[in-house]
Amino acid sequence: MGYTFAEKALARKAGLESVVAGQIVTVRPDKLLTHDNTAAIVKEFRKIGVARVADPKVNVIVLDHVVPAADETHATNHKVAREFAAEQGISAFYDVGEGICHQVLPEKGHAWPGAVIVGSDSHTPLYGAVGAFAAGIGRTEAAAVMATGQIWLRVPSTFRIIINGPLPPRVSAKDVILRIIGDLGADGADYRSVEFAGPVIRDMSIAGRMVLCNMSAEMGAKNGVVEPDEKTREWLKGRVTHPYEEIHADPDAQYERVIEYDFSDLAPQVARPHAVDNVVPVTEVAGTRINQALIGTCTNGRLEDLQAAADILRGKHIAPHVRLLVLPASREILLEALDRGLVRDLVAAGATLLNPGCGPCLGAHEGCMAPGEVTISTANRNFKGRMGSKEAFIYLASPATVAASALKGVIADPREV
Amino acid sequence: MKPTQIRGRLWVLTDPQGKLYDDIDTDQIFHNRYLHITDVAQMGQYALDNLKGWEDFARKARPGDVILAGKNFGAGSSRQQAVDCFRALGIGAILAESIGAIYKRNAINSGLPILALPGLSAVADRFHTGDEVEVDFATGRVVLNGKEVFQAEPFSQVQMDIYQAGDLFAYGKGMGS
Repeated sequence: MGYTFAEKALARKAGLESVVAGQIVTVRPDKLLTHDNTAAIVKEFRKIGVARVADPKVNVIVLDHVVPAADETHATNHKVAREFAAEQGISAFYDVGEGICHQVLPEKGHAWPGAVIVGSDSHTPLYGAVGAFAAGIGRTEAAAVMATGQIWLRVPSTFRIIINGPLPPRVSAKDVILRIIGDLGADGADYRSVEFAGPVIRDMSIAGRMVLCNMSAEMGAKNGVVEPDEKTREWLKGRVTHPYEEIHADPDAQYERVIEYDFSDLAPQVARPHAVDNVVPVTEVAGTRINQALIGTCTNGRLEDLQAAADILRGKHIAPHVRLLVLPASREILLEALDRGLVRDLVAAGATLLNPGCGPCLGAHEGCMAPGEVTISTANRNFKGRMGSKEAFIYLASPATVAASALKGVIADPREV
Repeated sequence: MKPTQIRGRLWVLTDPQGKLYDDIDTDQIFHNRYLHITDVAQMGQYALDNLKGWEDFARKARPGDVILAGKNFGAGSSRQQAVDCFRALGIGAILAESIGAIYKRNAINSGLPILALPGLSAVADRFHTGDEVEVDFATGRVVLNGKEVFQAEPFSQVQMDIYQAGDLFAYGKGMGS
């Protein structure tokens, strides 16, 4: 009998010959990610009564949620995290300006095929894009992992989603995952492991795979994963310097569901307010007036996203009533975008460049909305009130769709600009 | 031993049309504008204050009350404040048709009783705010107003062990780890 990726990854970590879906195992994660919430986690950690973290090499701390600090409380939380990293000898500490945790962690070589990574953030599954088993956990658990180095996990059952194509022009990974979430629902993959496979995935960049794994959380998945291949190995070169052993699902693995798509004529997709699974083709919402457009976040703030936006906006100007916010996901991406002239293209077209970080995605600063306003965003969540006013509206779409919409001042089809 | 059966007053989380709310996400339970708060005792006052019709829940809830919700309760962010706000209010248990994966773990690890009640939407009209409900964590048996019986998913062994210990930390100490 064959095993899924999740079963094989967790069996290896648990030191067991094999495990099956439903089984509860205790493992020692390779990495534990915490972000601005490190301050709250440290508070829990202090209660446990151990002086030192179990292994400082496991901890990765990235300050990204409200950076630079918007006020005294956030600044104090950052200070706690900084001092904790120094006190505990945590070398993988990334301060204000490095970027969003989910981009920085893999960029700096803390994710690799077969690694087990937990993080106190729901979009931790992103690291499945490089073949890791990665799942989001809460604050208490994060503190317990800090103290003990261990965590209990229930082995998830698995959906395998096979995607055939090729994708049409101006249709990207974001459209793929929005369509899938629209079909399966916001709890459609609850606690499942999701394996993305098929020709479209093989053709997809690591950045695109990150979009899929990142947003697998929006259908309730425990983790999302793409089998490592030559692209993965190439991307990891110079980042992960230690040897690693890849994990591939067995051909005869037992899947709870196998879902197959042909996306060769997929239209650009949009999630309407106020749920991520409220998905329609862009043509159904085209013409909706927007006030703000956001390109960035841990979902779509990578170089190819900025490139897609720049290709649409270069030499043109956004609509006069629109505020276009652009946030590269990391310093590395910002530097590359500067070198390629993308920042110039976007800023010249009317964009406001913000520093690498989570920015307005979670409504704490840098672009909150007033009542009645509409944002179209490349982010992963459009919950009511997430970006400021409860009476505001968030639409989710690809970078190409967001750029086209900024240009037109209304939600627009990127195939028509 | 902590009690594995509780009895409490029910809050049925319904929308303005009277339908059981599905997909109550973590931003509706504990809005991101309060995320800087690190003291659990301060979190209760903000519970559900971003859920239409339930903005004043924190002022109405009493310790021991039981919450009933629809599908995918606690979807979204991993923020544990969305669990801790109910602990701060002394909520006795949460029942929902299904529960977001991280939310469920957070509740289990915090020792807040949480049970899935599959098929709830088909019988949702039986439940009303103010009803008395008994919940047996070990068997999953839910008794409404001393009469009608419904079957929730009982605690798993690890959930019961953590609940009995108090929370994940106390459980971990008991395990000697």
